[in-house]
Amino acid sequence: MRKLSIFLLIILFIILCYFTSVSALSVFQSDWELPEAIDQQQSEYRLVLITQDIDTPFWDAVGRAALDEAKKLGVSLEIWGNYGSHREDFLTNLEVAIQSKVDGIIVQGLDSKEFKELTKVKASFYGIPIITIANDVPMAESLRRTYVGSDQYKAGRMIAEQLITDMGTAGKVVIMFNDELEYYQEQRLAGMEDLLKQYPNILIEHAKTSNKRDEVITSTQDILNKVTDADAFIAVNANTIGAMVQEIGKRYQVSPFYIYTFDDGPEAIPLLEKRMIDGVLRQSPEIMGRKSVELMTDWLKGETIPLDSDGYLTEIHIMKATDAP
Amino acid sequence: MNKIQNKIWTVSTIVLVIMSAIWITLTYYHNKSLNQYNDILQRYLSMNEVTDASQQVINDLNDYMLHPSLDNLEQIELSKREVQQAKNNVNHLRNEINDFTLTNYIHLIDSFIETTNRFIIFYEENEVEESAREFAEATSISNHISDMTLTLIDKELETYDQFYLGIMEQSRDLRELGIWLLILIAFSLLVFSYLFSRSITKPVLQLTKAANELSKGRFDVQVKIDTKDEIAFLANTFDHMRKNINKLFQETKQKAKLEQELQHNRILLQESQFRSLQSQINPHFLFNTLNTLSKKAYLEGSHETSDLLVNVAGLLRYNLKQMDRTVPLEEEVIVLKQYMEIQKARLTDRLHFHLVVDKECLAVPIPTLILQPLIENAVIHGIEPKEEGGAIWVRIKDYREQVKIEIEDNGMGMEAEKMEQLLNSKLKSGDSTSTGIGFRNVVERLRLYYGFDEVIKMESIVGSFTKIVLHIPKQNGGSNDAGTNR
Repeated sequence: MRKLSIFLLIILFIILCYFTSVSALSVFQSDWELPEAIDQQQSEYRLVLITQDIDTPFWDAVGRAALDEAKKLGVSLEIWGNYGSHREDFLTNLEVAIQSKVDGIIVQGLDSKEFKELTKVKASFYGIPIITIANDVPMAESLRRTYVGSDQYKAGRMIAEQLITDMGTAGKVVIMFNDELEYYQEQRLAGMEDLLKQYPNILIEHAKTSNKRDEVITSTQDILNKVTDADAFIAVNANTIGAMVQEIGKRYQVSPFYIYTFDDGPEAIPLLEKRMIDGVLRQSPEIMGRKSVELMTDWLKGETIPLDSDGYLTEIHIMKATDAP
Repeated sequence: MNKIQNKIWTVSTIVLVIMSAIWITLTYYHNKSLNQYNDILQRYLSMNEVTDASQQVINDLNDYMLHPSLDNLEQIELSKREVQQAKNNVNHLRNEINDFTLTNYIHLIDSFIETTNRFIIFYEENEVEESAREFAEATSISNHISDMTLTLIDKELETYDQFYLGIMEQSRDLRELGIWLLILIAFSLLVFSYLFSRSITKPVLQLTKAANELSKGRFDVQVKIDTKDEIAFLANTFDHMRKNINKLFQETKQKAKLEQELQHNRILLQESQFRSLQSQINPHFLFNTLNTLSKKAYLEGSHETSDLLVNVAGLLRYNLKQMDRTVPLEEEVIVLKQYMEIQKARLTDRLHFHLVVDKECLAVPIPTLILQPLIENAVIHGIEPKEEGGAIWVRIKDYREQVKIEIEDNGMGMEAEKMEQLLNSKLKSGDSTSTGIGFRNVVERLRLYYGFDEVIKMESIVGSFTKIVLHIPKQNGGSNDAGTNR
């Protein structure tokens, strides 16, 4: 009995010692490594990619490719953006980038006065090169070095071609675009109209809207009231397609309509996958991201001077609902 | 000697050392985390300082625009220097993660300072429009600095996220460790103090047990304690006491035994006395009657009868005397003679009596009624059963130290067992067959009086002779005096 109790006491003591030492070890060994402090800026060039939207499939692809390329080239790249195409924040980002004296700015073009002022005056003042990506702003107005992205005029044409192929040469087409018509939308519009005008039986209706969702809804309602026998819808600004399709869906079956848009809005591809829309113009975001970083780095290193001011055009193609998985 | 006080000191010291060790460790650890906290806080403060400084510059610019004085200009320079200072501080905060943002930040501050400088130049040259634009620019940059400070701090939080989690986890671990330590120490202390207290109380318990045994009268159990403290000392002393008591006890026991023997002696005497008293009334009457008879016999001319009667009366008187005393040997001899006269009258020619006495030793004191019973024994058991009769020799010889008395008869003799029985078996009351005082009584009294067994010896051959030898010392031992005085 006595031996047993001594034995038990010793066992208990050992167990206690074990747990105490384990606990002590975990207390005194869990030193977290702080990020290493460095004295000098690490890479030669600091680039910023500024977009109006982030977290959309299109811009995610651009960003991923750009970061990948930057890593490959050994330059630092940050992506600044905001949600829901907030223009003021976008412009602020641009301004901060300029004032922060980054080495190069890759920016989604915005055809507005403030944007042009910033790129033309301030960026030049600080001597910062700017490359527009995806959406262009004419060089004369923005003093951009070059443009990397799709040929928007051609994109408009291709959409129109697809429409003709699908619908035939007669019908009413509603084209929705922003009332503050940006350069890229202008180009797309021009592309579409130039083609559609060749077919006299095709009637074109313009619907103007803004980026705000409720306004898109209102405009859609208006145009549906006005044009009761529309056959096709084209959203020039891909950001508006979600609200538009939703609104159409409230009134009619969506499937009889021919609905087209571009892939640079957050809802375009999901809608295509659900077959709510008939076709999307797909651009090449990865190539845009990669190419823009490459060009900027080359220019900064002085390897490619001057850059082609007409821009470096990337591939586009139509993706139809029937192609979607 | 490992004293109890030392033990207590040791325990306290160990506890104290353990506690201090834990305290020091925890304090050290606490300080370490505190320093880390401070560093992190310092980073935030440095970043915030830039914001404050740049805002101060804007304030000063504003003041300068309102009151273009040298003082205000100087103030601007001062705050600008502060911004520079803050910028340098922030520059040290660069790490892998905030590298990009921090570079932007530094450049933003540079832009800010440049804008400020441009403003001052334009203002001094009175180019109002330009200076207003630069002021707006500076304000905007200042706002951007604020924003970017927040971004940086945000990034810090992100970067140090793991670190904070680590710190939190660590404090959780620390709490756990505290609990484990508490349990461990409590456990160890309990066990330790149990052992410690036992090491003190166990000897005390043993001592108590020993005391209990002692109080029950068991003096032979040794008190033994193996520790080396005061209790062991106490136990040793206690053991000494036990031994002493044991010794005293043994001595007392021996004394009690002696006392008992003495008591026995007295009982024997009393018995003799009683027996003599028993026959006192009749003997007195008999004695007087005998005297009367003796006178009458003398008057009637029967001298022999008269003498015999006188002897009988003398013998009777001697027997009636107090027995608890000593008498000179002479008296014993006289009584012996009287007795033998009577026996001779009875047995006539069958009995021959020879007495040889050294006169010098007749004054030696001996207990009363010693010789007469022995002679009586010889007559009755030695001579009487023999038809042809026999002779009795009594020889009293004086030696230097002692008197030797031999009583010899050539009568029946006796066997060795009988002799042994007579000399050594205990006296039983009522075994007397003769004049009152038996042979055994004589033997016992002699031995008690003189204190040694060899005072009386006997030898005999059946059908041939019996010889009794008494060795009477001339000077008696003290114990015998005590016996006689009672």
